[in-house]
Amino acid sequence: MKPLRTASLCALLVSTVAGTALAQPTQTGPNSPGPAPARLADGHPDLQGLWIKSAGGFQGLFIGSLDGTNFAAAGRGGARGAPPAPQYEYTPEAAAARQDRQRRGYEDPEARCHLPGVPRSLDQPGGLYPVQIIQDENYVALLHEAMHDVRIIPTDNSRHPHNYWAWDGDSRGRWEGDTFVVDVANFNGRTWLDMAGNFVDDNEHVVERYTLLDRDTILYQATVTDPTVFVKPIEMRFTLKRVPPEQQILEYSCLEGERSLQHYTSEDGGTKSRAK
Amino acid sequence: MSVTYLSFRRLAALLTATAVFAGAWLSVEAATPFLPARLKEDGKTPDFRGLWQARGTAYVNIEGHSAENGVRASASIIVDPPDGKIPYKADALARRQENYRARMTSDPSRKCYQAGVPRATYLSTPLQILQSPGNFAIVYQDNHAFRVFHPNNRPHFDSADWWMGDTRYHWDGDVLVADVAALTDELWFDAAGNFHSTEVHVVERYRMTGADTIEYEATVDDPLVYSRPWTLRTVLERVKQRGARIIEDECLEDANGVRRHVSPFDRANLLKSDYSRWKTGASAEPASR
Repeated sequence: MKPLRTASLCALLVSTVAGTALAQPTQTGPNSPGPAPARLADGHPDLQGLWIKSAGGFQGLFIGSLDGTNFAAAGRGGARGAPPAPQYEYTPEAAAARQDRQRRGYEDPEARCHLPGVPRSLDQPGGLYPVQIIQDENYVALLHEAMHDVRIIPTDNSRHPHNYWAWDGDSRGRWEGDTFVVDVANFNGRTWLDMAGNFVDDNEHVVERYTLLDRDTILYQATVTDPTVFVKPIEMRFTLKRVPPEQQILEYSCLEGERSLQHYTSEDGGTKSRAK
Repeated sequence: MSVTYLSFRRLAALLTATAVFAGAWLSVEAATPFLPARLKEDGKTPDFRGLWQARGTAYVNIEGHSAENGVRASASIIVDPPDGKIPYKADALARRQENYRARMTSDPSRKCYQAGVPRATYLSTPLQILQSPGNFAIVYQDNHAFRVFHPNNRPHFDSADWWMGDTRYHWDGDVLVADVAALTDELWFDAAGNFHSTEVHVVERYRMTGADTIEYEATVDDPLVYSRPWTLRTVLERVKQRGARIIEDECLEDANGVRRHVSPFDRANLLKSDYSRWKTGASAEPASR
């Protein structure tokens, strides 16, 4: 347990530093902040509404390229100002397991309709699946269209449970100033971080930070630590944009007979040949 | 206890007062509905938030049923028609009987499909109502299904067939009335094969009858399957277990290709027929939390 705790602490420090850096004017420019965020009666920023991941992040770029090229990782393509792809540094044992997963893309748990885990639940293909946020003084609830994945995150200072191992782990939230910070633990260690076989085990620990940059933009940051898989924390960030009010969340169901496996290239263990 | 006591008092009143007086008194009683608490944010929307669960065994069969497979017998929750039976057309009834005989394999819930409406309401697992001014959603523990209730200022999606349907709602005083359409015909109402077609239309009424009870009513109409609309009614009770939450409910395909619910409390259960878990991690001692 000790290494895990130390790593978590490191993750917290790292994310705090990252948060400070992002508060600098680098976020302004062409996308200058709009109206100030609304607040609930309890004084906290109002995160409610329907949101969708904007361009950026790595999952969307990966899936968006039909030949399986990860544009984000290659440092090209994507929207202007797209955040850098996360850097994965595996422990020696985990590196082999990752390579194995890369060859067996068809084993992706999400392709088998399982819950995506965190942060993959937020890091769905950009612009495809929105998330509805409902909030009160006791919780912030994320209702994801993709996989009809739900997280009802309490903000009551309660602690993670014992003897509980879940795809999405267990989330406990708190407000640090105007940022909603979520500590996620109790993972079952079955989820992948993306379609490319990047994975975690049950020592995964995530600290997420949701910050309203303006009324229509949430900056999402996640720090993933997993000392048995990664030698250093994984940093991830992208923005969520408010969906116009005339649109609504739709139903997503993932059932047996799921056909997305056929779109996996042979390199990823699928049947589709890779485009030249 | 107090209910029994009140009943005695009422009986005594009936015996001692004139019939006219007793009748007037009873109608006054019935005309005083429970006043639900209000959302703090706007001070007016009835507060339905919380963790709720239906008791009883309607999830097995919404019609009256005898005991079977460890499930106790129960009266029908169908209040209209008065005989408690779904008014099937003749050919539809035949199909229900066929479904019933094949229920151990054909029940869509066995494949971990989302339960649909109204079935999700009276399952043996809890649901949570999320609410804030202008927002109303229900999260069902079963298969992590959820419904976002939309204000009824727009028409239903007419070409969708969804597991949880398309829900439009309005407030009728303190009663939430939801109109549900766009449901798929692969759904059952229970584990006994009661069914509908894609033409089904459900009107739900959620009414707080006490601080810890919601009376739930659903009127079901489907001209292809039933000779007339019918109505079921049940009660959702507040789950008061301290610290109770919706837990994650996932399905896993076992070695025989059968999908089944797995428990987040049973670590070993999660490991069966499992490629995606890293074996090195799996053999390690559970982290003490």
